[in-house]
Amino acid sequence: MAPAKEQNQKAFRLKRRNWGMAVDEDRCTGCEACVVACHAENNIATVGEEQAARGRAMHWIRIERYYEGTFPDIKVKYQPVLCQQCDNAPCEAVCPTYASYHNAEGLNAQIYNRCIGTRYCANACPYEDRYFNFVNPAWDEPLNLQLNPDVSVRSVGIMEKCTFCIQRIRAAEINAEKEKRQLKDGEFNPACVQSCPTEALVFGDLDDPESRVSRLAKSNRAAKLLPDLGTKPKVTYLRRGSWYDEQNT
Amino acid sequence: MDRRTFLKLSSLGGATAALSACDKSGKLRGQMIRFIPEERLVPGVAIWKTSLCRQCCSGCGLEVRVMEGEAVVTRHGQRGLMQMGLAKKLEGNPEHPVNRGKLCARGHAGLQVTYNPDRIRFPLRRTGPRGSGQYRQVGWDEAVTELSTRLGSISSQGKAGSVAFLTRALRDQRGVLVQRFLAAYGAPPAVRFEFFDDAVLRRANYLSFGRYQLPTFDLARANYVISFGADFLSTWNSVVAQNRGYGAMRQGRPGLRGKFVQVEARMSPTGANADEWVYAKPGSEGLLAVSLAQVMLSERLRPAEAAREAGARIEGWTQGLSDYSPEKVQDQTGVAAARIRRLARELAAHRPAVAIVAGVPLAQTNGLANALAVNALNALLDAVENPGGIFFTPRPPLAYLPSVEESSSAKSLAERILNNPVPIEALLVYEANPVFASPATWHVRETLEKIPFIASFGSFIDETSILADLILPDHSHLESWVDHVPESGSTTAVASVAAPAMLPLHHTRAMPDVLLDVAHRLGPKLDPVESALPWKSYQEMLQSAFEPLRNHAGSVKAQKADDFWSQVQQNGGWWSEQSDPPPKAPATAERSATVVKVAQPELDGDARDYPFNFLPYASQQFGDGSHANLPWMQEMPDVISTAMWSTWVEINPRTAERLSIRQGDLVEVRSQHGTLQAPALLAPGIAPDVVAMPVGQGHEQYGRYASGRGANPIKILCARVEPETGALAWAATRVNIRRVGTRGKLVLFGGALRESPRNYRYR
Amino acid sequence: MNKTPEQINEELLLPLNSTSWRYYLAVAALGMLVLVGFYAWGYQLDHGIGASGLDRPVFWGVYITDFVFWIGISHAGTLISAILRVSNAEWRRPVTRCAEAITVFSLLIAATFPVIHLGRPWLFFWLIPYPSERGIWPQFRSPLLWDFFALNTYLIGSFSFLLLPSFPDFALVRDRSEGWRRRLYGILSLGWRGTPKQWHRLEMAMRIMAVAIIPVAVSVHTIVSWDFAMALVPGWHSTIFGPYFVAGAIFSGIAALIIVMACVRKLLHLEEYLEPIHFDHLGKLLLAMSLIWFYFVFAESLTTWYGNQPSEMTVFWLTRSGSFSPLFWMMVICNAIIPVPILSIKRLRSKIGWTVLASIPIVIGMWLERFLIVVPSLEQNRLPYAYGTYTPSWVEIGITVASFAAMPLLYLLFVKAVPIISIWELKLGQHEKPAEVAAPVPAEEIVQGATASGR
Ligand SMILES: Nc1nc2c(c(=O)[nH]1)N[C@H]1C(S)=C(S)[C@@H](COP(=O)(O)OP(=O)(O)OC[C@H]3O[C@@H](n4cnc5c(=O)[nH]c(N)nc54)[C@H](O)[C@@H]3O)O[C@H]1N2
Ligand code: SF4
Ligand code: SF4
Ligand code: SF4
Ligand code: SF4
Ligand code: SF4
Repeated sequence: MAPAKEQNQKAFRLKRRNWGMAVDEDRCTGCEACVVACHAENNIATVGEEQAARGRAMHWIRIERYYEGTFPDIKVKYQPVLCQQCDNAPCEAVCPTYASYHNAEGLNAQIYNRCIGTRYCANACPYEDRYFNFVNPAWDEPLNLQLNPDVSVRSVGIMEKCTFCIQRIRAAEINAEKEKRQLKDGEFNPACVQSCPTEALVFGDLDDPESRVSRLAKSNRAAKLLPDLGTKPKVTYLRRGSWYDEQNT
Repeated sequence: MDRRTFLKLSSLGGATAALSACDKSGKLRGQMIRFIPEERLVPGVAIWKTSLCRQCCSGCGLEVRVMEGEAVVTRHGQRGLMQMGLAKKLEGNPEHPVNRGKLCARGHAGLQVTYNPDRIRFPLRRTGPRGSGQYRQVGWDEAVTELSTRLGSISSQGKAGSVAFLTRALRDQRGVLVQRFLAAYGAPPAVRFEFFDDAVLRRANYLSFGRYQLPTFDLARANYVISFGADFLSTWNSVVAQNRGYGAMRQGRPGLRGKFVQVEARMSPTGANADEWVYAKPGSEGLLAVSLAQVMLSERLRPAEAAREAGARIEGWTQGLSDYSPEKVQDQTGVAAARIRRLARELAAHRPAVAIVAGVPLAQTNGLANALAVNALNALLDAVENPGGIFFTPRPPLAYLPSVEESSSAKSLAERILNNPVPIEALLVYEANPVFASPATWHVRETLEKIPFIASFGSFIDETSILADLILPDHSHLESWVDHVPESGSTTAVASVAAPAMLPLHHTRAMPDVLLDVAHRLGPKLDPVESALPWKSYQEMLQSAFEPLRNHAGSVKAQKADDFWSQVQQNGGWWSEQSDPPPKAPATAERSATVVKVAQPELDGDARDYPFNFLPYASQQFGDGSHANLPWMQEMPDVISTAMWSTWVEINPRTAERLSIRQGDLVEVRSQHGTLQAPALLAPGIAPDVVAMPVGQGHEQYGRYASGRGANPIKILCARVEPETGALAWAATRVNIRRVGTRGKLVLFGGALRESPRNYRYR
Repeated sequence: MNKTPEQINEELLLPLNSTSWRYYLAVAALGMLVLVGFYAWGYQLDHGIGASGLDRPVFWGVYITDFVFWIGISHAGTLISAILRVSNAEWRRPVTRCAEAITVFSLLIAATFPVIHLGRPWLFFWLIPYPSERGIWPQFRSPLLWDFFALNTYLIGSFSFLLLPSFPDFALVRDRSEGWRRRLYGILSLGWRGTPKQWHRLEMAMRIMAVAIIPVAVSVHTIVSWDFAMALVPGWHSTIFGPYFVAGAIFSGIAALIIVMACVRKLLHLEEYLEPIHFDHLGKLLLAMSLIWFYFVFAESLTTWYGNQPSEMTVFWLTRSGSFSPLFWMMVICNAIIPVPILSIKRLRSKIGWTVLASIPIVIGMWLERFLIVVPSLEQNRLPYAYGTYTPSWVEIGITVASFAAMPLLYLLFVKAVPIISIWELKLGQHEKPAEVAAPVPAEEIVQGATASGR
């Protein structure tokens, strides 16, 4: 190899990121834009009434709704739940085929082709954010034309889940590499984050102390979901604030 | 040889590559002809095109991700395969002032309008009896000829005035075009019909502020937001704009978090976000609002004069509203006097504070008074056209502006079609489905069935278009030239426009172009057709409408007309640099004369026989029902109930227990005007004497995903109206409920209701 | 029992030589049920695993229950017979083969379930560590992989354990038959001549196998328990699952053995070989296992309840007083309340009918126990919003019924091919001087039907 070329290759290296997300429960209004955005981006099949009634609906991100109190002193909490991209992911160790594995950027990746459908990972995931193709997904023509060519369509018998829109991550990285520059905070976003009208979802590099997501992760409202399980989730929840009369006076 | 003839030749000759692949039905794709692509894209490389969302009337800006793909398309009546640019994903246009890159769930699902398998793919002529759904495919020429011949003969009989055009509010040049067409033809203006039409609020805003328009809320800068029944984060008004503001109100300002209070009787998706959720009896919200004002006035927290014109609309305002002290209204509203006092003090102390009203309070016989009361409260709080308050979106200086409808849907439908003494000879229907969205007592279907000729521009067979004799299917919004003038959602003037994001899949045509075609065919019969409709195509009309904007300070600066036009399209529209409020309508005698007494609503049905107030509501998934044919919307869990593919009746758990109704039981809901059945949903956030039901399901005819699913609450509503506007008081019906016994179809996505059950056995 | 060797030969080889119409009827009926199971599986292959009642969040259901259940049943055999062999319990002799056969068949049945259960069963071989051109190996951290190895080891081990002591009996059949049967059993008996060397080797092998198979059996069910215990699922994540599962397995295994023995005894007219004393002994073991099982359930319940952890308690109450409580209490009745009194009373225990009466509920109760371990924890895993329910579909029920039919079917076929009581061992036990038995026998003598001990 010509030394010049070698030099050139050494000169640029894309920084490896530690992708994470912050979910602000104080902003989230339960509008579900994220839910449909994810369907559209990731070719998630709609399963139809009969299958949905049998508990087979797939929503990689869902808005959990919890009531507190009784009428009329009632409160509701919305909590968007997607794959927490655990650093210590219970779904990974149990997968016999490495279909659920940890990729170099610390994401819990799902290799559809490798999955044989034991559904062990889904039992192990304490966040219940793994969805299984119980039947072969179908798109009534021409709804198939909506499919995103960047994302593989899953078939019957395999597990799927939120990927942090890995296709968008890859595309951005490839682009940056091509242009020999580092990625900027907020340069691209997963589909749910991009749509969220209240900006309840913030995505970015947790290793970059300046990124919005890493600053939010240090917020005093920050908490993890099921923290005692030691799964080390990369999604941080920002608890709802409360309103005190004194606050503004 | 131009492209058209080339296409024709290639399709006629079938001289195209045979493919070996089979499609799903097992039919050989190779048997299909392959059209020569009309555009060239690099496979696998996405391009972005601007467009506009038409899933509701907010008019959010879109960016459409277009990629090359292979589609079965119709060209010249012939189906074949073509490589073409296909819309793959909708995103918000980051530059657009209304949505700033964001999108709501229904906006995303707009993609499934274009690719809906139930779309009408070519013009249809009815062959069977009305409503049978038997049609035969006809060519466009035949279809347009038939329409123009019909209209021509009606006009030659001197009955042009008996032609009606039924549509929803069109806040774009389509609206202008339709009005001009009707005027030139000699027919009265279009009949606007929408179930949730906001006529009461527009009227109230006109009376209080001189603006016949829905307000824009500056939530981002508000410290205190009180909403009376408005589902402004989920279904009402400019939802994306309001959500953006709400997010900033909560956490956009370090150290400052606004308070949000929601007043309603059934916890809506919006109400679920409130810091304080206040139950008030449906229809008594106006009383609560004036009582809040009374506290501020009596405790001198706010000067009475601040309310100005809006205060003058309320009886007793200048006397300090002494009839509305918290103690006097607490029984009528169901809100304790002490709480009213505290809320009033908080509001006054934490300005900028803003009050929002919509939904149930306005859908009452006292709806206008409720709206005026909240308007007066806003004025008292100095929230009108002040930061953190309400604004009115200025109108852009387009060459032609669509008019804002003056009368309510119910009134115009009744006066112009249902009770019109002159029988309608021909009805043209576009984006309106009154057969679905009207109470059974109106007998809309029966009336329409008597009309000799109905033409529909619908993309789908629905309850109204199935009555049509002729269907001239429109393009989808992604296949059309789209434009829009937002009524609200922005504090600067906005005029959006975009070119088609993709080529049409089917043998459809844009309604405005069809109308222009008809106009030109009618030619001499139209009164000055040349000056009224001088354009050859809708695109041409848009360009001339936008031309004057070039000379105004705005987002697009270009010297040359062509440059301006292409840049406006690329940006998705033009928005003004200034944010001056729009001019107020001059104070008229009529306006100053209006003084309302805020009182209780009148409900339909005796409280003993019909103990529950029945509240239909716009569903998060389907709005007024027009999105029920989209699988993404059907399967999206409603955020409160978590239901998918279902309808339900929301019942308070204690009420349900009393009536031995369990979750999912089939319940019969009976009003004086009809009954329906739906499964029960035990909702902790609904008042014990109220039952609620989402609007949107219960379609008889609306494609495979919507038809025959659930029940339609609109059908059993009473015909009471708000007297001044004639708007349907859709929240004024009382009902009775009972368990029918068998299990209803209720598909829920969510499991338990509570995060930390006090008792582990609780489900 | 006092019979001449010739009588023993005659009576124990009878099933191999004569077949009644009832036999064909039974095979046909069971075969039909098994075919229904295959139809159901075919239907599931066509429609996807969605043909089952499985859903989110209950991703495991009846198939895994069946898997664990049949693995449990398999502990009847090898383990019992190995323990009895090692401890030189003389009464074992007519029992061992009966038990070992159960092991092999229930393992074969059990092994189908992980495949039936897969979303893409046609790719089941990806669980097998074979070198591939892409250098992809299965993941050894996954308990499912441990399962794969444990199951295979156990299957091979127990198959050998069944096969080894069969050689002399195969030779016996060989020597007493003609034509293709002679050739077939000639092959099966692997040239057994009964030379001292052969006897010596067989004995050595059996001694080693008997010792080796015990840890294998224990480890298999321990590993199966780890499929659950390794996951962070409330109600699964428990340290006692290993011994608890093994105890349960032996428990259900013995119960199954008693039932099978009673059937074999009746159907093959072996009343004089399988005597009440055998049932009495097994009944004592069963009683002990029932008490041990109850002890584990109690210990597990008490610690969970005392710990009072919300997610654990959700599952706890779901089974004790929630929607699964009928099944839970039925399990307790089946596994303890019915069998313990029966088996404690010597008068009842020594009657075969009563021990069988105590064993049938145990088999049902242990199936329920497996079901109650698998399903409730998944229905109410951590996040309450994701709670769900599960009802098995006809496909799962069909396949389960087929598995229950497959066991007797395989058994029926087996008793046609192999003497269900180890003839030589029985004779050995009857003889005062085992050494004599082991004396070399000239081949000609065997051909005439006279065995070494029958001289
Ligand atoms: N027309 C045509 N068809 C072909 C071929 C051809 O040459 N022409 N080639 C064939 C061949 S050889 C192959 S290998 C296949 C390839 O076919 P696919 O397996 O569909 O391959 P990709 O296009 O690479 O898409 C894989 C998907 O994985 C996503 N992805 C990337 N990284 C990860 C990750 O870590 N986890 C998860 N879950 N997803 C990830 C990508 O965004 C993408 O959506 O196509 C075959 N099909
Ligand atoms: S949330 Fe669940 S699926 Fe995602 S990494 Fe964690 S354990 Fe795995
Ligand atoms: S279902 Fe697929 S991803 Fe999950 S554990 Fe099994 S093989 Fe791995
Ligand atoms: S990050 Fe992507 S895959 Fe995950 S929920 Fe959001 S849109 Fe879906
Ligand atoms: S889009 Fe944002 S605000 Fe809406 S539900 Fe999702 S996270 Fe919440
Ligand atoms: S609010 Fe939603 S539906 Fe309405 S225009 Fe905007 S994106 Fe479309």
